[in-house]
Amino acid sequence: MKAMLPRLVFWCINLWIIAYTLVIGISLLLQFVGGELPCPLCMLQRYAMILSTLGAVWIIRQAQRGVLTWDRYVQDLGLGALGAFAGAVFASRQIMLHILPGDQGYGGAVLGLHLYSWAFVTFCVVILFTALLGIIAPAAIPMAPARNSTADRFSSAVGLVFLAVVAINAVMIVFLEGFAWVLPDNPMGYALFGH
Amino acid sequence: MDIIILFLLLFMGLAMWRGAPRWLVLTCWFGTLLLMIGLFRFHVTSSLGLSF
Repeated sequence: MKAMLPRLVFWCINLWIIAYTLVIGISLLLQFVGGELPCPLCMLQRYAMILSTLGAVWIIRQAQRGVLTWDRYVQDLGLGALGAFAGAVFASRQIMLHILPGDQGYGGAVLGLHLYSWAFVTFCVVILFTALLGIIAPAAIPMAPARNSTADRFSSAVGLVFLAVVAINAVMIVFLEGFAWVLPDNPMGYALFGH
Repeated sequence: MDIIILFLLLFMGLAMWRGAPRWLVLTCWFGTLLLMIGLFRFHVTSSLGLSF
C-alpha cells in the first residue's frame, strides 16, 4: 500500500485538474449555448479556479520531468489552496449578495444551487483536499508513470485540455470585454460586437 | 483588466508546461493574485446591509 501511495496521489491530483476542467467547461457551455453571460464576480471565480488548478498542473508537470522535490510539492499545494481560498472569498461575496429571502439570485440554478454556490463548494473541497495531501506529503510525493507510457500520455492530455480551456476563456474575454477596462456589472452581450 | 489576468494565467500555464524558471512562475502567480484582489476591490464598492 505504501508503495502505491505516490502513484495514487499523482492520479488524485490529475483528478483535481479534470474536475476543474469540467466545471469551467460546463460554465463555458452554459455561456455559449444557454446564453448565460458571466458577471464580474463569476469571472473572478473562474480565474481563481484556474489559478488554483495551475498549482496542480505544475506538480504533475514537475513529476513527469522528474524534478519534483518535497519542498516544491508542498509549496505548489499551498498555491492551489491559496487560489481556492481567494475563490471562496469571491464566491461568498456573491452568495451574500443574493442571500435575502425572495432574491432570485444571478443566473440559473443547477440541482437547486446557483453556480456561485457550487463554486464555493468546489473551493472548500480543494482546500480540504490540499490539506489532506499536505498531511500525507512526508509519506507520498506524487510519482509519475514511465515516460511515454499510455498513462503518461493520458496525464499530459489532461494538462493540455485544461490549458486549452484557459485559452478559450482568454479569447472569450476579449469578445466579452471589448475595449473596456473592466466588465459591466450585468453584461448584456459581447462588447466587442457593440452589444 | 480581465484580459490581462486571463492572458497572464495562460502564459503561466504554458511557462509551467515548458519548464520555465521557478521564480518567473511564482512572480506571475502572485502578480495575478494581486490583480484579482484589485479587481475584486474595484467591483465591491459597498458593504452589504446584512446582520446575522
